[in-house]
Amino acid sequence: MRLERALPRLGRSALLAVAYAALAFFVLFPIVWILMMSFKDFGDIIAYPPRFLFTPTLANFEEILLGSAAEQAAGETPEFLHNLLNSIIISGGAVIVSALIGVPAAFALARGVLRGSVHIRFTFLSFRFAPELAIILPLFVIYKQVGLYDSYVGMILVNQLITLPLVILITTGFFREIPIEIEEAAVLDGAGIWMTLTKVLVPIVMPGIASAMIIAFIFSWNNLVFGLVLAGGETRPVTVGILQAMTFDQIKWGLMAAAAMVAAVPGMIAAVWFQKQIIRGLTLGAVK
Amino acid sequence: MTREDAPSFHFGRRAKLTYVVMLVPALLLLFASLYPFLQGILTALTNRKLYLPDAKFIGLGNFEALANTAVFWTALSNTLIYTALVVIIQIPLGLGIALLLDVPTRLRGFFRTTVVLPLLVPPVVAGLMWKTMMQPQSGVLNWLLQSVGLPPFSWLTDPATAMISVVLIDTWVFTPFAVIILLAGLQSVPTDIEEAARVDGANAWQVFRLIRLPWLLPYIVLVALFRVADSLKALEIIYATTRGGPLNATRTLHIMAYEEAYRWSSLGKAMAIVFVLWVICYLISGLLLGFWHKQEKARHAA
Repeated sequence: MRLERALPRLGRSALLAVAYAALAFFVLFPIVWILMMSFKDFGDIIAYPPRFLFTPTLANFEEILLGSAAEQAAGETPEFLHNLLNSIIISGGAVIVSALIGVPAAFALARGVLRGSVHIRFTFLSFRFAPELAIILPLFVIYKQVGLYDSYVGMILVNQLITLPLVILITTGFFREIPIEIEEAAVLDGAGIWMTLTKVLVPIVMPGIASAMIIAFIFSWNNLVFGLVLAGGETRPVTVGILQAMTFDQIKWGLMAAAAMVAAVPGMIAAVWFQKQIIRGLTLGAVK
Repeated sequence: MTREDAPSFHFGRRAKLTYVVMLVPALLLLFASLYPFLQGILTALTNRKLYLPDAKFIGLGNFEALANTAVFWTALSNTLIYTALVVIIQIPLGLGIALLLDVPTRLRGFFRTTVVLPLLVPPVVAGLMWKTMMQPQSGVLNWLLQSVGLPPFSWLTDPATAMISVVLIDTWVFTPFAVIILLAGLQSVPTDIEEAARVDGANAWQVFRLIRLPWLLPYIVLVALFRVADSLKALEIIYATTRGGPLNATRTLHIMAYEEAYRWSSLGKAMAIVFVLWVICYLISGLLLGFWHKQEKARHAA
């Protein structure tokens, strides 16, 4: 009798265990494999059957971050490090601009006192659904004319297409969750709308704003097309840099693996440290 | 959502002006992108070359030329096949994983963190990672297949398998999005209804089919909306792996437009392709958005 009841339960936990194992393998194997590859020397990389045990080396990371022997001798900044700094400047700048512009806009939308607020929100959303090239290709021509091609200002501006809607949609969701009584109290104390926003509400939703900014930063950092079309050698971001390095030299798997790991760092850190806020932010941005 | 119970200070004329002022910079910035967009539509009607400013108005010439190009139809069908595969694979898979992560176990917290990881990796980087693993001769995936007794797969190198391979990479990156949204949906299922059903003797499958699934429907539509819109304009993973090859097997409209502009420098033709793609995106996402809206309304009315 007890066995009869225990068996299905055992079967159920076995099934769960298999499902969990399959999920972990599918999600983690590529990351672990490339992480291992980034610590391998050339011989270990091309070995077949693949090697799971090997003597790790930091040579790949040294070369992409400190430069090849030739680059070091010439005192040049390694190209990948340059790309990395560009990505930090562009995505960081884009997110700061979006927060300054987007937070007041999100507040105004969250209060919904303007006619057509819903439509405005859908307009912001609809930008996400248009193919990027519809805007980026003509923008290439315009940027060339006005001198914004391959400039930080130009890149920060175009990244608003990613970061601004994200910041607005996510932050609107967080503002909505604040009970309106808090504002009423502030207003009764004689504060204006701006004062209420900056002194009372922003501190309350700061965690929400922060998670919106982190998400926006990652999606801007991860983007390829903007950099591919609108950035040249000066402002080339890391996603384009890694691709070009690959195209010129198909064999340098180790460098590619190391670069891939470095390029994925912001996302990885965010996933592990801010996991809860990120999931909440992503959900709010999409659902509400 | 309008707040009819909002206090009167929210409706004063000065207050309203303040709200408008708060919105204007964001609207200006986004609507500024309408200028290049409209410029692009005009460009689609010319024979504009990328680096030559002089262009002649040729009406619908680019569209006619496209209609007579076999590759255009291939790219159009590839775009639709890619999108269909993404939806057919990722929504059931995402739902399955969400249900798995909804079961209370000790490992749940760890898995909820882990499962988000691929979504935060740059798609280009994911493409390169998988391309490395998919090498037919020396790649680790074929080694894995062989070590469990399966024949090797040609992955990205064969026109017959390239499409499913890029969709697999897309699935690795974007299924977590479906999981996050559907998990949020699952957690919002009213527990009292579920309890009542259980008390009435419904089994797990009935609870799923009759209560959870209908409740999840708007969430599923939402996932479909985002995944369809993103897959129709798929570019980054394909660009990082096959660039549309082999033999156009993975050439989507977005990839074709990029190549047309930067390889053949025919900006006019590229914009015509992009315009066709935009119309498709607009119609399909509009349809799904409308469907989602209706469901939301029905729920709030209930």
